[in-house]
Amino acid sequence: MRTRFHLIHIVTGVLIAVFLSIHIVRLHLDDILDSNDPNSWESMIHRATDGMWAALYIALLAVALYHALYGLRGIILELTPSARAGRVTTWCLVAIGIAAFGWGTYVPIHLLSS
Amino acid sequence: MRQREHRQNYLGARGWVWAGRYQMERHLYVLHRVTGLGLLLFGIIHLIITTFFRMGDKDTWESAISVVHNPVLKVGAYLVVAAFIFHALNGLRLILQEFGFALGRPIPPIYPYKDALRKKRRLAVILIAVIAILAVVFLYDFAAGGG
Amino acid sequence: MAERDTKQITFRLQRYDPEQGGILQLQEFMVPTSRGMTVLDGLIYVKENLDSTLAFRTSCRMGICGSCGMLVNSYPHLACHTQIEEFHSDVLTIKPLSNLPIIKDLVVDLTPMFDHHRSIRPYILRHDAQEIENPTAEFGQTPQELSDFLQFTYCMKCGICVAACPTSASDKLFLGPEALAQCYRYCADSRDDGQQERLRLVDTEHGVWHCHLAGACSEACPKGLDPALAIQLLKRRLASQALGFRRKQLPSPVVSPPTEQKPKVPYPEFTVKAKE
Repeated sequence: MRTRFHLIHIVTGVLIAVFLSIHIVRLHLDDILDSNDPNSWESMIHRATDGMWAALYIALLAVALYHALYGLRGIILELTPSARAGRVTTWCLVAIGIAAFGWGTYVPIHLLSS
Repeated sequence: MRQREHRQNYLGARGWVWAGRYQMERHLYVLHRVTGLGLLLFGIIHLIITTFFRMGDKDTWESAISVVHNPVLKVGAYLVVAAFIFHALNGLRLILQEFGFALGRPIPPIYPYKDALRKKRRLAVILIAVIAILAVVFLYDFAAGGG
Repeated sequence: MAERDTKQITFRLQRYDPEQGGILQLQEFMVPTSRGMTVLDGLIYVKENLDSTLAFRTSCRMGICGSCGMLVNSYPHLACHTQIEEFHSDVLTIKPLSNLPIIKDLVVDLTPMFDHHRSIRPYILRHDAQEIENPTAEFGQTPQELSDFLQFTYCMKCGICVAACPTSASDKLFLGPEALAQCYRYCADSRDDGQQERLRLVDTEHGVWHCHLAGACSEACPKGLDPALAIQLLKRRLASQALGFRRKQLPSPVVSPPTEQKPKVPYPEFTVKAKE
């Protein structure tokens, strides 16, 4: 059972490397090619109304949350051998993950439609 | 032998961080863990900042951006990029080696012993060289004004 | 003679006596050493001449029994297998192995390691109970099949890998490099058919996935066993099973003893002829 979660951890690791590189390189190239400051309000609004960017952000958020929280859970479980503390930690991290994903998905979709 | 409680002797989390006299691969493990936690922390802050301030109006966004472009925070941004490069490339090495693909076969142990990780040391060294090159490239890039 | 020059080395030993207060303290002893003396020779000198209440384990004094594992200058060594000269230092700080409970002075309790070892069923498991209970012949195994796991059979359960492992440092329930390497040793043994059960035992919350390839266990192992390699190969088996790749490999069949007689070789001539 744990093996399957670990394999997803590895797959999400690779996906993060891909999406994050796209995120960083694209923002950086926008700086060079379009000579538009990618951090200005205008370019931010431009990205907020673009469906591809929203999809990228949501996908990146999902894989990053899974990878980070699974890793954090591994580190915490190595410190707390009691089974009950381990279960509490797991459910807390799942709740944090779902909440963060919900919030992080709501924002691009809201911006997309507004 | 069980009448008396023996003295617990676990190193605890200190055993993670102190890589002491062990060789390079253990230091890579420590750095991988440290960069992972650092990236997690940065990710939370970045998520909060971008989502909240994107929902706001132009002035709050511009003022947030000007705060972020403070030189001290630019150093922090560079460290995040360097940590990401290290964590990603070392993670690639771990994926290859954790499933035994880049580790070779069991051999009869003949003194002096050379275990699989040391035999494949070249892979780790090449990876570190790539990380160092990319880190220097991004250092130049950040110093020249990007970010 | 140069080899017999004695040099006074300071042995800083960690003392712990639960019957006398139970505090850890470092006690210094001056030991005359010469070339070729091992750390164990120094400890025996201390016990025979300076302080006979010092407690440490020793048995074979030649690096095969695994009794004398201890931390020398913060790195785990076998005391009998380690020359004093290799440290190039006038002070040797000797402490018991980390991550295992201390009984007294340099003696640690290896029971947690043995409990983990026992839990992964370290014996050949087969489904034909009749053959196991009343063996008729031996299980056949080619030299190629033997070489797949022979390296991991040299384990002498000294506990040095457990002392080196960063995960064992904080996680009491982690199986440890020794148990995981022995689990792979039995899974890879072609005579064994118990891979399914053993993989279920290590695919747990404190099992094999808490190994993060720090490699300290393989580096410190005094027998060149490479437990790190065994654990990663075990992970490969687990991942293949999770992804659905099945190993269609039957366990070694029973091989009946050879029926044909070997030709009788004539007794060789005496090399020394008797005087006539």
